Amino acid sequence: MADTAIETAPPAAQFDPEMVRQITKPPLVTNNRDFHWVTEKVSGIVEMKTPMWWWIAFFPAAVLAGCCIGGFVYLISTGVGVWGQNSPVMWAWDITNFVFWIGIGHAGTLISAILFLTRQKWRTSINRAAEAMTLFAVICAGLYPGLHVGRLWMAWYLVPVGNANAIWQNFRSPLLWDVFAVGTYFTVSVIFWYVGLIPDLATLRDRATNSVKRFAYGLFALGWRGGNRQWRNYEKAYLILAGISTPLVLSVHTIVSFDFATSIVPGWHTTIFPPYFVAGAIFGGFAMVLTLMLPARHLLGLQDLITKKHVDVMAKIILLTGSIVGYAYIMEFFIAWYSQNPFEQWAFLRNRISAPFTKWMFDVPDAPYWWAYWAMMSCNVISPQIFWSKRARANLWIVFAVCMCVNAGMWFERFVIIVTSIANDFLPGSWGMYSPTWVDIITFTGSFGLFLSLFLLFCRFLPMIAMSEVKGVLPAADPHFHPPGHDAPGGGDHSTGLGGGVRMTTPAPSTGH
Amino acid sequence: MKHVFQHPPETPSPTGRKYWRTMGELNDTPEFRGWLEREFPSGIDEMETDALSRRSFLQLMGGSLALAGLGMSGCRRPEAFLVPFTKSAEWLIPGEHLLYATSMPRRGGAMPLLVTTTDGRPIKNEGNPLHPASNGGTDTFAQASILELYDPERSRTFLLDGQTSDAATFADWVTKLRAEATADGGASLAILTGESGSPTRERIRGMLQQQFPKMTWCVYEPLSNDNEREAMKAAFGSAAMKMVPKFAKADVIVSLDSDFLCVEESDLAAVRDFSSRRRVAAPTDSMNRLYAVENRFTVTGGMADHRLRCPASQVGAVALALAKAVADATISGPLTDLLSAVPATEINKLEKSLPWINEAAKDLVANRGKSLVMVGPNQPAWVHALGFAINGALGSYGPTLTAVAAPAPDGVSLASLAERMKSGAVKTLFVFGGNPSYNAPADLNWPELQKKVAAVARIGSYDDETSTGAKWHVPAAHYLEAWGDDRSSDGTYVAVQPMILPLHGGVSELEVLAGLAGREKIEGPALIQETFKTIAKNVSDDALAWNNFLRDGFLANSAAGEASATFNPAGAKSFVQTNFKSPPVPTADAMEFVMTPDYSVWDGRYTNNGWLQELADPVTKLTWDNAALMSKATATKLGLKWKEDDIRDGKGTGVTGDWIEVVVGDRKVKAAVLVDPGHVDHSVSLSLGYGREKVGRIGRDAGFNAYPLRTTATPYFVSNAKVSKVAGEAYIFSTTQHHYNMEGRALVRELPIGTYREHAGFDHEGRSFVQKFGMDSHIPPSVSIYKHPPMTGQHQWGMAIDLSTCTGCSACVIACQSENNIPIVGKHQVRRGRIMQWIRMDRYYSTMADKEDDEDPQVMMQPVTCHHCENAPCETVCPVNATVHNEEGLNVMAYNRCIGTRYCANNCPYKVRRFNYFDYNSRPLDQLYLGPLAKKGVAETVKLSKNPNVTVRMRGVMEKCTFCVQRIEEAKIGQLRVARDSNNTKVPTDSFKTACQQVCPSEAIVFGDIADPESKVTKLKKRDLNYTMLDYLNVQPRVSYLARVRNPNPKMPGAETVGMSTLKDSHGH
Repeated sequence: MADTAIETAPPAAQFDPEMVRQITKPPLVTNNRDFHWVTEKVSGIVEMKTPMWWWIAFFPAAVLAGCCIGGFVYLISTGVGVWGQNSPVMWAWDITNFVFWIGIGHAGTLISAILFLTRQKWRTSINRAAEAMTLFAVICAGLYPGLHVGRLWMAWYLVPVGNANAIWQNFRSPLLWDVFAVGTYFTVSVIFWYVGLIPDLATLRDRATNSVKRFAYGLFALGWRGGNRQWRNYEKAYLILAGISTPLVLSVHTIVSFDFATSIVPGWHTTIFPPYFVAGAIFGGFAMVLTLMLPARHLLGLQDLITKKHVDVMAKIILLTGSIVGYAYIMEFFIAWYSQNPFEQWAFLRNRISAPFTKWMFDVPDAPYWWAYWAMMSCNVISPQIFWSKRARANLWIVFAVCMCVNAGMWFERFVIIVTSIANDFLPGSWGMYSPTWVDIITFTGSFGLFLSLFLLFCRFLPMIAMSEVKGVLPAADPHFHPPGHDAPGGGDHSTGLGGGVRMTTPAPSTGH
Repeated sequence: MKHVFQHPPETPSPTGRKYWRTMGELNDTPEFRGWLEREFPSGIDEMETDALSRRSFLQLMGGSLALAGLGMSGCRRPEAFLVPFTKSAEWLIPGEHLLYATSMPRRGGAMPLLVTTTDGRPIKNEGNPLHPASNGGTDTFAQASILELYDPERSRTFLLDGQTSDAATFADWVTKLRAEATADGGASLAILTGESGSPTRERIRGMLQQQFPKMTWCVYEPLSNDNEREAMKAAFGSAAMKMVPKFAKADVIVSLDSDFLCVEESDLAAVRDFSSRRRVAAPTDSMNRLYAVENRFTVTGGMADHRLRCPASQVGAVALALAKAVADATISGPLTDLLSAVPATEINKLEKSLPWINEAAKDLVANRGKSLVMVGPNQPAWVHALGFAINGALGSYGPTLTAVAAPAPDGVSLASLAERMKSGAVKTLFVFGGNPSYNAPADLNWPELQKKVAAVARIGSYDDETSTGAKWHVPAAHYLEAWGDDRSSDGTYVAVQPMILPLHGGVSELEVLAGLAGREKIEGPALIQETFKTIAKNVSDDALAWNNFLRDGFLANSAAGEASATFNPAGAKSFVQTNFKSPPVPTADAMEFVMTPDYSVWDGRYTNNGWLQELADPVTKLTWDNAALMSKATATKLGLKWKEDDIRDGKGTGVTGDWIEVVVGDRKVKAAVLVDPGHVDHSVSLSLGYGREKVGRIGRDAGFNAYPLRTTATPYFVSNAKVSKVAGEAYIFSTTQHHYNMEGRALVRELPIGTYREHAGFDHEGRSFVQKFGMDSHIPPSVSIYKHPPMTGQHQWGMAIDLSTCTGCSACVIACQSENNIPIVGKHQVRRGRIMQWIRMDRYYSTMADKEDDEDPQVMMQPVTCHHCENAPCETVCPVNATVHNEEGLNVMAYNRCIGTRYCANNCPYKVRRFNYFDYNSRPLDQLYLGPLAKKGVAETVKLSKNPNVTVRMRGVMEKCTFCVQRIEEAKIGQLRVARDSNNTKVPTDSFKTACQQVCPSEAIVFGDIADPESKVTKLKKRDLNYTMLDYLNVQPRVSYLARVRNPNPKMPGAETVGMSTLKDSHGH
């Protein structure tokens, strides 16, 4: 562990301490926590008595989730008409919510897989929760396309199974690829997440105080003993799954974007969509990870594991992806102008951009959805720019506020793309407006309840931080680590610490100390 | 189906033993006898009630069978109950339609129809192609009358003082009444009925008049041609005729508030003749030119080349100015003389409009003998007299206007009937059809008047306002349920024959009148046959002639002859002199209030018809309501607010308007305002027929009643109306179109005929001038990078729509609804943007770019249906292959494969796909949001109205125009039968039509095989006016449009803007 090694090694006389402070990176786990502390801390969250705040959070979330389910029961039993959709706006909040949630569902797997492959060691303390968040977001996302169809009981037609009519699916339809892409993504994400959980489940099993817990954790721990051979196989499996997941992170949102990009609707029919959507998904996903992590870190006392360094890194990613998204927004607008296609121009200028405060620039009537467009612009493009400032990145309140903006902004982005494009497309005679009903509202807000409920249950029953992986990045996991106070023969040679911990060549102790 | 089961008589056994099959038989109780005799067990009568669904019918039958089995098991085979026809009805081939000729009685002349029946139930009306008054076309009202037949809310029971009674009691009452009436010569008897040309009714009236010479016979129609008749009597000396314009011969037409393209005001032949002169096939073709003077946009005004916005009360002044100009130019003595009857100041009253009027007059005079002036029926009689005089000066009588003998409705006016009622002379009043309590002039105070009559017998289709307080309410038979006869608009004797027995035991007007005249109950057509014999003279075989009459639907060569009409200038002059009135020019403080016919419900008679209620008004696009129409300037001046896209959660998006109150004297009307482009200032138009108080669910809470301001003296417009804003939450209207501007997109393409002549033909690339409008002028031709599946079918279906002749009347919309079992969705769902109609009529207003706020726009109509794109964007996106292309070029929907992702509708550039957001076909429209708690199922009668060849769609399914695929298949199967083993399977050229094409009175929609070089559609598509909408998308639509050619008068003020709306966007290419 290079960084920590330097810091924990006795200061060499030849180094100026000030210079050392400047060139070193902050440690991944602060306060010199050891393996035992990590185990106690993370397992303790699961083992402790349920705190009051958990109930205070869980109860309203569960009620909201119930509303969501009730809303969907009503929808299915009565007809899609209970939502506000119409002709021309045949898709509205349903697909907006789908794309919103599926976008959020990108951060977890990105953190787990891509950052794993790129040896970003800081990922270890957040990947478990982020992955769980991914799964729950994908579950929320899946509700909408699954349940928005007119005849749910016929939705199995989407599955390529043999039937008496010998009708196959339409493999030209991006909607079908969507089903496959989201299905694959969810399956692989679940497996990846579960495989990562196995050593920690074994820890909980071994620490279990009653037989029910022991049985339940034991069942899912698959007989993990932490043996060398098990670690070898485990790490191979994890690596392979990370390899499989990585392209999926990119493919899912690319394919979701095809729903729009391959259509002919002005405002949808845009070649920039795949990279733009992926960037947007990472953007929104990181914002949601932070939205959950900042309170959790505080409430569960995880400041030593989820450090300010994590927040800082994620804020930088938000700044980067937010700027990419902003570039995409402006590029879309530029291309609409550059193409000189009146329909494209109308979709951007007259449906979205033209607002009361742009009169000086465009002398056209206000766009019917200007408020949505400008909400998106200010939340997604303008608000993250504050992260250029290191002080802003260090202020958790600011970070949290920006993340909330981004969450809202990303929802508006999907709303703007979907609704404003189809509301006013080719034939002015068929133009319309969309207004949501109360069922739209509860099926949307209810999905947050569902998401939070699942996340709170996860926090309560599963180790929300990957103990074994965090231990792997502790200084103590470095084979050349010398605890402070010990003599460090040849320490200087290894102080650059290129032998990293993320490959976890050292089996971390699986059982509690 | 009625048969009594015969059991073999018991033969006494030689042993003396009695053999019995059941205990019942042994005891031989009367109950058992009953079981034996009756085909259906007792209690089956419950079947007659409406709540009986098919399921409960089966339950009941099952239960009855079980009981029957208990009673006498093994007596007979139960299948006897389950087979509907033991003997097939004559000519009936299962699965095939039968067509019967009949006609729909209408005020201006019956409309000859061919009714499609299937398994004994009429399901679709078509025009009778043999009859010139129809030639195969019909209109919205004729199409929608099928729905009225099956309306579950039609009156079903005889009501005596509000209590259920029956036909026999009513017949007894009539018999008793006869005795009383005979005693006083009928002095206490009055009959109020509507206009009808039925010779049989006339014959029975004669019989009644003989028996009850003092009887009062009154004919009343809220919207009538009385003013014209009155003027005709003065100007020609006879009202027993009518003026028939020959539009095919007229080059210049001036319409003075005449909406002659609305079928109810004239006939289909007029629309067809007019259209024939709007159709341009070649640059050498001539076109007629239409000038319209009106206060609001009508269908006719929309077709006009030049339109003058003018208050309805000032149309007379326009007529005077026009007459003056014509008189000066033609040096017409009689006309000049006639004008001396009115003050000279009146003639030049409308100074601002004089240049317009003078140019129109010049055009009329320049085309003497080929021109025509039409005066609308809502104009006062003196304007009609003036119109006759102008036509006389123009030499129209003969070349463009002929008088045809037509008996004038004979009877006293409603006012004099009211007098008699008031005096107490009338003891018994029969009210046939009409609804005077709702639509009689307000000054008569009819509901009170009716209370003065001891016994009112009301024969009507609905238990409505007039039935309230009536002694008798008798359910009237629908015209498709009863025998009758009538005359069409050209006077031809036409048959009205029933297609089905009265569903609810209704009786026809003729039956009741005949009963009153002392005739025994008449079975079948006997009454009509008697009349027929008197009309069809010189026939060798009565039975054969009668059969031919029924087969053809009319009696050949029975049209009325030309009446000898000589214009009498002196009569006209004195008439104008006595009747001339000069209503003040409306101002902001004293506006005019105009009561207009409604395109959906006419005068209120169709208020309970869901198809018509949901049919968007051709001009305002308003459904389920009427509205106080006024110009933007007037609305602004009144301080009113309106919004075109008002979003209110839970109520959807609508056009909203504030409330106004119109006060005239001590009468007032409250209504919400809809701003109507093209409406004249200081004028408020409210159509009649809405705001009904006692009506079925469909008509309830719909619109505002204009009748309270309608008096005997001012039936069509009132001056000096005080209009003011009243407080109240803005009313939300349900319109089908919110955006009126085409935004320069060259969707409807129009051009003046001069420009067309200049640019006719095709360029070296094979593109015509019209094909290069707007964006298409400067983009390269579309090239597809994909290989598309070949269309290998023998037939390739396509459609061409001529925008020059389409008036926007919307008959196609209803025809499609009737043919394809399209549900109505209700006012709230229309507002939510969920209307289901497969063909819609887009309406755009155009103003020149430099006059954005122009209050005098031109209007453009465009029917839009599924374009059946060869390169269909909907097909590629459907994940389950529910919408695919067939080899004949149809974009077909597999309803049972559709899961309802709605992606196809999003990707459809023409937005023609319709989604079943709810179970519109099987849930009541006011319970859609109750889900499974809502009542399931529809009335039995509504099920009868469905076309069995078209699937009834469930919720969650996408649907759209199929090009009437059922008709295509029917034609192909028919040809296969002809072809037998040969390869001659090609359907003969243009041998069948789609529903929208068949109904179109102006023949604007042409469908056919584009692979057949001989077909009409192929020829149309080759014209240089042919273009496709959104060509740049390269979706290769099979529907194309023929650009609208207009014929402006270059000298007219504003002529440079006519027909230029899309031309201006073509950047001069």
